[in-house]
Amino acid sequence: MNLEILAYPFIFAAIYFEAFFLVTLLSAPAVASRKRTASTNTPMVAMIVPCYNEEQTVSGTAESLLALDYPKDKLRIVLVDDGSTDGTASIMDSFAHHENVTVIHQKNQGKHVALNSGIAAVEEAELIGCLDADSFVDAGALREMIGGFDDGRVAASTAAMSVHTPRTILERMQNAEYIMGIACRHILAAVNGIYVTPGPFSLYRRDVVVELGGFRNGHNTEDMEMALRIQKAGYAIESAPLARVFTKTPRTVPALVKQRTRWTTGFLRNMLNEYRDMVGNPQYGALGLLVLPLGFLAILGGIMMFFLVIYQIISQGIQMLMITSGVPVAYTISTLVPTFGNASWFYLPVSIFALLGFVALAGSILFMVVGKNISKTPAQLSVGVIAYMLVYGLIAPFWLLFSVADVATDNRRAWK
Amino acid sequence: MSLFTRNALIALLITVAIIGTVLYAVNFLNQQRVAELRSIEDQLATDTLSIETQFALLEEAPCEDIAAGTISQEVGGVGDKLAYAEERAGANDPEVLRLKERYTLLQIRDYLLTKRLSETCGVKPVVALYFYSNVPGECEECDRAGYALSYLRQTYPALRVYSFDYHLDLAALRTFISVLKVHDGEFPAFVIQGKPSYGFTSLEDLEKAFPKSLFATTTRSTTKVR
Repeated sequence: MNLEILAYPFIFAAIYFEAFFLVTLLSAPAVASRKRTASTNTPMVAMIVPCYNEEQTVSGTAESLLALDYPKDKLRIVLVDDGSTDGTASIMDSFAHHENVTVIHQKNQGKHVALNSGIAAVEEAELIGCLDADSFVDAGALREMIGGFDDGRVAASTAAMSVHTPRTILERMQNAEYIMGIACRHILAAVNGIYVTPGPFSLYRRDVVVELGGFRNGHNTEDMEMALRIQKAGYAIESAPLARVFTKTPRTVPALVKQRTRWTTGFLRNMLNEYRDMVGNPQYGALGLLVLPLGFLAILGGIMMFFLVIYQIISQGIQMLMITSGVPVAYTISTLVPTFGNASWFYLPVSIFALLGFVALAGSILFMVVGKNISKTPAQLSVGVIAYMLVYGLIAPFWLLFSVADVATDNRRAWK
Repeated sequence: MSLFTRNALIALLITVAIIGTVLYAVNFLNQQRVAELRSIEDQLATDTLSIETQFALLEEAPCEDIAAGTISQEVGGVGDKLAYAEERAGANDPEVLRLKERYTLLQIRDYLLTKRLSETCGVKPVVALYFYSNVPGECEECDRAGYALSYLRQTYPALRVYSFDYHLDLAALRTFISVLKVHDGEFPAFVIQGKPSYGFTSLEDLEKAFPKSLFATTTRSTTKVR
């Protein structure tokens, strides 16, 4: 049996998802969203920065908030120290002299509690922004996001995240992926299909968050849980592709795997428990019928493709070793090295699997380019795209496997 | 119709169109491969005629005027291309089968001419006939044997290798097999310097079946054995 056949449903799903994205990108709501200019409205906004042991970055985060293009009397900044054990608390205190900055210290209770403390401290705010303490907002980001709230159904808006000064291959790879995420959220917003309001920077209608009971731990993915709760309550989530925010990302493979394991585990636990009824539910439109089911399919497909590739490499490797055993290695090498002088289209290794895989990959790259263009993110994508193509597929299966194993065995990992 | 439903349906159409295009492209390429094989049919026919002519000339011409290598360079690569096309288009593709039959005939003619040259003119080429089977499970060692023969042929150009699909439905091949007394069901089968042998264990053992004079030459050629 040719095992490649097992991969076809997943490749079909990937291409279908990309085709849906492309059609939606060109549809009227997405076009209108891209044409929307920065808002001149200035509702009262509170930016909350929950923080645990972020002494390296919290200062930059606070400074980026102070530099926001927004009237100071309409902007509150709340720095919440969630019981940090490093120098974070004193750095936060050094910002307390600013008139619109409030610093809260509390014992360590988790990010969601820190966010709720911040929300409780700014009753006068109409909108609340949640910003991770390792993220830095562009000066115009807030005005870009506020425009989305002109629609009364909108309870939250997401920003255009990319990696802060990506240098390493791993950071550039994540940057390409984040920039693709900008396009994805922009497109999904057109059909109200966003299922996560990312921690680096999202803006919420305060009364909705309070009405829904504030943030919860949400299986260590409080941003995803809040977005799902907003969707379940019948509100909409917008996206502002020009609201640029730059965030720090894991610098090592183990750290990245740990972070993504938390995200994926959070998705699975939320989906299999509190929000199980949303999956496949037509009441939630694109989110229920397409986005959430495909989330499961992506996890399953990623794991299966990984094992399929491993199996192919091992089985073909063994077969090749068996066939070539006894024959001088130099001859085998000479047959493996392409001889361009004799190259012929006749031997072009084109198969249905390879071509469909190429189409799916080309779709991903297209959305990276779209994300960069619609967000005007200043980034060199080429290295990141190449790294994404070559490296991502090798690392992602690990966090997918760990996540499935954690959920299956009810293993709970610490946030950091 | 909601935006989501409309887009979902359009996306389905696009996906089907993409997959249809890919299927068409792969099929088109396979057909082009077969067409490429077809395009060298003329060359096959010319080579066959050339061999037959040389057969006739042998009666009258002095030995030194007869060329020993009769299969042209273009046709020499047909074996590789046939094997690849067989893998892609399937062993039962009518076009592939037809060309395989013609190539087999050409190989038999070339072998007979080589043999005649050997008898008449005292030329002593080293000849290996290799019989493989494509029937699943019938020849576990055929891939190894074919690879080892490819290595030997490439390393020792004086070696002439003719490979045959034992089960090819071709009357001339059946007669050829019965003349050589190659048994059915024992694969891979070799006829080296006229002596039949069966099975493949290692390159070293295979080399022992060849005369030592073969290994005096080291110039490389480029053709693989199926």
